[in-house]
Amino acid sequence: MNLPGLLLALCIYFPVTSGPFVDKLSEAEFGRLHEQLQASSEVPWRTIPWKISLLDAQRASLSQKKPIFIWAMDGHPLGCT
Amino acid sequence: MLDRASTFADPEIVQLLKSRFIAVAIDQAYHRRQQDAEGEFYRKIAGQGPRRDFKKTTQGLYLATASGKLLGFNNNRGGDRIKALMKKALEQFQPPTATPIEAGPVDDRYHAPLPEGGMVVRVQAKILGGYEPTTDYWSKIYQDSLSRDNLWVTAAEQEAMVAGRLPPSLQQRLVRFHLIDNTRGEPQMWKAEEITSLDLSLEKGLLSGTVHLETASGNRGYKANLLGHIEHKNGKITRFDLVAHGQFWGECTYTPGAPNGKFPLAVSFTLADGSDVADGVPPKGSRGWVEGYLQP
Repeated sequence: MNLPGLLLALCIYFPVTSGPFVDKLSEAEFGRLHEQLQASSEVPWRTIPWKISLLDAQRASLSQKKPIFIWAMDGHPLGCT
Repeated sequence: MLDRASTFADPEIVQLLKSRFIAVAIDQAYHRRQQDAEGEFYRKIAGQGPRRDFKKTTQGLYLATASGKLLGFNNNRGGDRIKALMKKALEQFQPPTATPIEAGPVDDRYHAPLPEGGMVVRVQAKILGGYEPTTDYWSKIYQDSLSRDNLWVTAAEQEAMVAGRLPPSLQQRLVRFHLIDNTRGEPQMWKAEEITSLDLSLEKGLLSGTVHLETASGNRGYKANLLGHIEHKNGKITRFDLVAHGQFWGECTYTPGAPNGKFPLAVSFTLADGSDVADGVPPKGSRGWVEGYLQP
């Protein structure tokens, strides 16, 4: 088998996806994935007007005469995961 | 992750939180330790509950008055239990005669503001396949989850990108702290020596390249291609859209349940516009060592 023939055979036997990286991203794939990986603002937990400062919550609790609801986690509940 | 898609997806709980409570979300690992007014107020409330040893986790849901009186605590999931807790707290609640607490000096060890002139980029990751089909409610939440974190970009790094360069500090931070599988919990960040290869370029606003991250034992890794667009106007970054897509493998102590073998993981980056309160949350990678995050 000559060299071009050998290269062609290798390309057929070892497609691009079997290399060290997956296929390069095309513009279309980039656009599709970027859109797919955006959280909807309509997801219920994101519609809650969370504060991230307990002292801000204390002030709002006083002015609005409402109790404070604290979601306290290991790592920030609105980020990290 | 689980709470977002269970407790805080319950329509009645969401409505109660919107209309009858002041909702606040915090990282208790900071609050139980920080020596300032914010930390003191938290410890006053949490200290009335069952988790009063502040050397251990105090994770949970606390309902309290502005004077710091605890009205209820729960560390379980499940809509009915939380709704009952909220309704009981509302029955007990009497607006106290308290005054606003002055913030005073903050404990710098647990207060990491965005560096002056810094920029926030939203980071969201998702596993695109590889899980075994499941009917388990909680497993399904993990399988469908879209994670959320923030990438901080310094003023100097923005200037460099406006000039057409991609600073090494930003490249390192982006791959070490943000190309992670945080869809089931908090994973370990990549160590500098776990960057097996990194080849990114920025040419005429097109950010592209490849990265290979892998632990020494080979039990966890990520090989990905990156493609994105960075635009600027009048010296300011106006667009930072980027996607990493590749094959991930492995899991960490706090992220069990990954798909077997290699699986597709994608991570997206989008310039934050400040419209989401979560834009103000410090990056997970900065937790405990902001300098190490900014200059990896």
